[in-house]
Amino acid sequence: MAQHTGGLLKVRDLKINIPKEAKNLAERMLKDLENSKRPYLEAVKTTLDNSFYNPKVGYLTPGDKVVRTELNVSSVQKLARVVFILEILLRNLEIGAVNSKRELYYICKGLIKGDSRYKPLDFEDQNESDSIIDFVCDMLRVYREELNCFANDKGGQTYSQQLVVTETLPGGEKATVDLSTLGTAPFMPKNKPQALKLKAKKKIDFCLIVESESTANTLVTMGFTRRNNCILMGAGGVPSNAVRGWCRLIQEELAVPMYFFGDLDAYTMQNIFRTLKAGSASSLIRNADFSAPEVKFLGVLPDDVKRYDLPFYKVKESDPVEARALKKAKDALENDPFFLDKKNKGVADICRWLLKEKIRCEQQSYFSVDPKDPIKTEKIILEKIKRGSYI
Amino acid sequence: MARNEITKSSTAEYFAKNLQQVGFSSPTKAVLTTLKEAVDNSLDACEEADILPDLYVEIKKVGTGSSRNTDLVKVIVEDNGPGIEEKDLAKVYGEYLASSKFGRGKCSRGQQGIGISAATTWAQMTNAKGVLVTSKTKNMRKAVRAQVDVDIKSNIGALKNRETIDWNKPHGVRVEFVMDGRIQLNGDGGLVTYMEGTILLNPHVSVSYKLGDNEKVTVERVSTVVPQVPDSTLPHPHTFKLGEFITHATLFGKVTLRKFLRTGFSRISEDSINQFVKNGLPKNLLEKPITSISQEDFKKVFSAVQNTELMAPSTRSVLTVGEEALSKSIGRLGEVDFFSVVTRKPRICDFKPVVVEVALARFKNRNTEAESPVQLLRFANRVPLQFDKSGCAITWAIESVNWKSYGLQQPKNSLPLGPYVFAVSMVSPFIKFKNASKETIDASEELVAEIRLALIQAGQKLSRHIKKENKEADLERKLAHIEQFGPILVEKLATIVGASEARKKKAEEGLNKILGRDSKAAISELEEATQKLSAMRAKQRKIMGEDGSEGEEEDTSSVDEIPTQSTTKKAPPPQGTGKAAPPASLKKKKRSAETRAKK
Repeated sequence: MAQHTGGLLKVRDLKINIPKEAKNLAERMLKDLENSKRPYLEAVKTTLDNSFYNPKVGYLTPGDKVVRTELNVSSVQKLARVVFILEILLRNLEIGAVNSKRELYYICKGLIKGDSRYKPLDFEDQNESDSIIDFVCDMLRVYREELNCFANDKGGQTYSQQLVVTETLPGGEKATVDLSTLGTAPFMPKNKPQALKLKAKKKIDFCLIVESESTANTLVTMGFTRRNNCILMGAGGVPSNAVRGWCRLIQEELAVPMYFFGDLDAYTMQNIFRTLKAGSASSLIRNADFSAPEVKFLGVLPDDVKRYDLPFYKVKESDPVEARALKKAKDALENDPFFLDKKNKGVADICRWLLKEKIRCEQQSYFSVDPKDPIKTEKIILEKIKRGSYI
Repeated sequence: MARNEITKSSTAEYFAKNLQQVGFSSPTKAVLTTLKEAVDNSLDACEEADILPDLYVEIKKVGTGSSRNTDLVKVIVEDNGPGIEEKDLAKVYGEYLASSKFGRGKCSRGQQGIGISAATTWAQMTNAKGVLVTSKTKNMRKAVRAQVDVDIKSNIGALKNRETIDWNKPHGVRVEFVMDGRIQLNGDGGLVTYMEGTILLNPHVSVSYKLGDNEKVTVERVSTVVPQVPDSTLPHPHTFKLGEFITHATLFGKVTLRKFLRTGFSRISEDSINQFVKNGLPKNLLEKPITSISQEDFKKVFSAVQNTELMAPSTRSVLTVGEEALSKSIGRLGEVDFFSVVTRKPRICDFKPVVVEVALARFKNRNTEAESPVQLLRFANRVPLQFDKSGCAITWAIESVNWKSYGLQQPKNSLPLGPYVFAVSMVSPFIKFKNASKETIDASEELVAEIRLALIQAGQKLSRHIKKENKEADLERKLAHIEQFGPILVEKLATIVGASEARKKKAEEGLNKILGRDSKAAISELEEATQKLSAMRAKQRKIMGEDGSEGEEEDTSSVDEIPTQSTTKKAPPPQGTGKAAPPASLKKKKRSAETRAKK
């Protein structure tokens, strides 16, 4: 998937040459100005109303809508900021420097401090510079990693006794990591391009992605990966790009059944599971490489609440966070192409059930089923997989 | 006779025990209420005698109070009114319900004759001395000075330490109360707020006041017209309840029912009486003396009267400050940015004549916190209401208006926010208060709707100013944007492309051309807003110029911008000095925008 190019790795085989493309864009804008024409910038509209879902493709793809920013007295600030940050990013590409968004925010601050003419551009907080960076990505239709802007590694702690990862390093040398030799340490994918190849020493039966990293760790410590030929991963809440790309790689290279094990609530269904399976509206241009459409929802299923008599909570509508999650779920059922497609009817039905019952049931509630059996949750998971109790 | 005495003594005793009901519920309120009662009396007396009032007010701490957590406070109010004859002094200051105004249906400030006697009682109870009064009428060569005490047992005032003194005033009254109290200057219930409210609604008053440690303030009158409090009109029958109707009848003695109906009420004609008969009034009762009509029959008469359509009551009994005088008076509270004044025509609400006046103003140095609610000044019969605003009809009406559409911020169901003063005055001979201390106007649906209409009109006028200001700010922002961001955009594009200086220069020219077009659009929007404002002002001046303060239109309103002036609290220049051409600041901005565009 990732390719080796000189000092850094590429996420994908990009058809455009970013510096050249950026230069063309600047050239066009400058020419417009010379001719007293209003220059404009266009970026993919990354919202739900510009998201499409084709069940054969399996992830959200962008439509034709664009956000067009034309030069006028109100937008001149944004355009100046876009060009200002674009220059920094192009320089990074040229010299092979990398930065996080926070670092870029401070780089901007430093440049602005150094030249009083730039003072009006100053960013009050990181959100302001982040949104410009995102706009640059959407405008050039490139990933932020392709502009050498990397996020911190988060989530994706992976355990397996069968999986072997071979990584090609920037210098061309290869490193082989046999996960079974790491002792208690996990393998973790990075939030930046890596050239990884996967191999199974022995047939792997399934891959289990657990929403809570601590529950994943409990399962591993109690011997889940020793007893089962599997890959077990902790997602760590909303999956990061690293987790999404890593799941995609597992799906493509190993073609093993993949199950997601998480809470039964509106937030998990649409923010965590939907993002892992089909990407999100805000990352429309990268869903192709950062989603794993084959992942199934193993639980907690509404049926499990009854079957295992799981403890659950009433959703407090007075709590703004929970009320918002419910409202978002309602919106998603009406407008999100992922939930509207009949292929995902099962997931949509769970959302409808949650809206109706107004309850939430956590993944850890399985530990209540037989409190004296420390591996009861593992047994239930295996039983559910065997029984086909997933959506 | 014996019965009379019992009634009298119980009145004074009752109030002595229940002073909290008439505004003496706390040390701070005691001072304010005393000031209020004394000033009300002075202003009412001056108006009755057609005298332009000159008041002197002083309130100071003179020691420690006798009760816990109080100071000994001296309240002095002096006027140039007609003075009080010596024989009346004890009655006025020392007897309850001894009033010249009770129940007569006039829009005077005082009504029952309770307030000032209550203040005397408070001073007497807390400092063992009543009020020290100095009075001189034009027929007296020397002034009389005496202490008036209330004899609580008998409700009779008593003069003590009487003396005659030389007073270099042709006539007037000076009262001095020394009592337990506390001085609160600012805030809703503050003394300064009271003085400013009184100043605002009484353009014909000149007043010097020294409150606590504050500097002495002198405010000159801006009108030389003494308000003529219209004579009362007879009550309208539809405002009566059955009991009141019967009691009212007892005042007329042995007259026929027909005569009672014709002379005891307004809006009852011979035709109306015929209608009453059609609506169930037994005809034989008409010529019967009312003293011999049974309660049962009164009920029939009453319901026939209530079921008959009558002309609405006359609105002649109300008075207004008038837009012109109010506009001038606003300038006495401080330097005004802009304001809007509306005087509604008198209306009938709940069968009572009512007139509402509204002044909305933004001051340069008052209430400058944008996030705090507007300062609300409420008035009933020109007396400031300073407590319990949440239950008041005026507050309800303000909260019911959507001020956002006029450019003000407003949290849901609350007063709007911003550095504004909202003054709302209601005048009616029959204001229904929620309590005896007259702090809150009872909110009926009709009354709230009428106040609301006045507020909406004033808000619309105010929004012209706010819109113009917003357009100015918009233009300012746009011009700044062009100046700040334009060069950076061109510079960075040129760097990425590697363009020559010549290309950079050409692009800069192009950019200024494009953005110049935008700023021109902003300038013309501002001009349009300015013109609308000027047109409104011109229209207003025309109305004022031709018809004085009373316009012929359905509702008149006045908005004007007072030119910047020094901080002395003098009257602003007369209306009509407004500018028809765009203000100088706008011209300057326009010029600089054009220069920038040309660069």
